[in-house]
Amino acid sequence: MSALRVVLLVGSARPPGTGNSEALGSYLLARLAEGGMGTEVFHVHRCQRPEKERALFEAVGGADVFVLSTPLYVDALPYLVTRCCERMAAHRAAEPQEHRSRMVALVNCGFPELEHTLTALDICGVFARQAGFVWAGGLGLGGGEAIGGKPLEEVGGMTRHVRGGLDLAAEALLADRVIPEEAQAQLARPMIPSRLYTTLGDIGWLRTARKKGTLRRLWDRPLG
Amino acid sequence: METHAHGPQVIVDPTTLNPAKRTLLLNGALAGDETLEPVEEALLALLREERTEIRGYAMRDVPLAHCQGCFECWTTTPGLCKTEGDAGREIAAALIKSDLVVILTPITFGGYSSEIKKAMDRIICLVLPFFRRVDGEVHHSQRYPSYPALAAVGVLPAPDEEQARIFRSLVGRNALNMDCPVTAVCVMEAGTPPPILRDSLAADLEPVLAHVGGRVA
Ligand SMILES: Cc1cc2nc3c(=O)[nH]c(=O)nc-3n(C[C@H](O)[C@H](O)[C@H](O)COP(=O)(O)O)c2cc1C
Repeated sequence: MSALRVVLLVGSARPPGTGNSEALGSYLLARLAEGGMGTEVFHVHRCQRPEKERALFEAVGGADVFVLSTPLYVDALPYLVTRCCERMAAHRAAEPQEHRSRMVALVNCGFPELEHTLTALDICGVFARQAGFVWAGGLGLGGGEAIGGKPLEEVGGMTRHVRGGLDLAAEALLADRVIPEEAQAQLARPMIPSRLYTTLGDIGWLRTARKKGTLRRLWDRPLG
Repeated sequence: METHAHGPQVIVDPTTLNPAKRTLLLNGALAGDETLEPVEEALLALLREERTEIRGYAMRDVPLAHCQGCFECWTTTPGLCKTEGDAGREIAAALIKSDLVVILTPITFGGYSSEIKKAMDRIICLVLPFFRRVDGEVHHSQRYPSYPALAAVGVLPAPDEEQARIFRSLVGRNALNMDCPVTAVCVMEAGTPPPILRDSLAADLEPVLAHVGGRVA
């Protein structure tokens, strides 16, 4: 029997190798690879040309597990992910899929509370069913910017629970089970306390602005 | 009807209006989908009764680059998306200058269509990067002194409780993040007969229509 295959679609618009969604998705993929799955990675902003989009749809069509790892944009899936989902659902409806594929979604957001991701996770669940996937479940993560776009192991102890949750998700996927609630419970444990995260965030914006020489213009209202 | 560089735009005769009130209508119909047309007509009729200036964008005719997730609209060009040469800045400006934003969209997987999302992702320049707490949850601080009311009209191909619930929760979340003073949601099925369509819109959107018409809801 040939190895099971997993396809990761990264929904971030950030360049490959720099985003939090990619760090999360890659960690899960590595665990699935250790379990014997063959892996393939796509970035949604690189799948806009018809031939790239076709390659993505074909890879997903032949995959046993489809992982969407995406940031939250304005309380929902980003534009390019939404567009890709609309087109993938239409493609799969037009060419009925013989292969049984499961889908899992990882949604991370910038605010510390994972509750912000719940609507987007619900959207992923509806997409999965409409596009003919078996919904294996979704995981939300708050405070995603704490990852800094780095591999989770490199970020260190702070991502311990995140990795723990993704390990549980990988185990479940390898055993053809849905993602257990415990995986979400692990991801719900903050990487850094909320107040510290927002304080560090605010300081970070000021520092970046000072470096760019825009500190005094940071509060500008150019459109009002 | 005026033609606009970035697609068709509807502007009600400015001599008949209450010039203080402005409405921005974003139509998120996907290519080839004409089911939103009667809903848009009914919406425009209701808005005209409120004598508000209406600026409308058929988003599928408006080419917009995707948000690159770089946050430069907060740190490099504060308040402006760095992408120039498309209608991104124009739509953000129209939004912040409006008293009411109406999102008309097919409901896709419970959310807005991609045509709406391509505009929504480009408006984070309207808030500040800094954090604030609202009811124990973190959101961004306001850049502008006030934000428009929000109305969302979602059209489903068939009744679907789950998608209607997700849509309502999405609009509620957007309203919270954009600090909208008034919010209203209407979910309907494509092909709803015009009299019923008009009545549902009028009933569900009453609070925002009152807001833009200067009435008390
Ligand atoms: C256009 C845009 C909209 C965003 N909207 C939200 C939001 O509504 N809520 C939230 O918590 N974070 C929001 N974020 C923050 C991202 O979800 C967060 O920074 C995430 O970690 C980015 O992941 P990435 O590195 O994979 O792109 C937004 C970011 C961008 C660029």
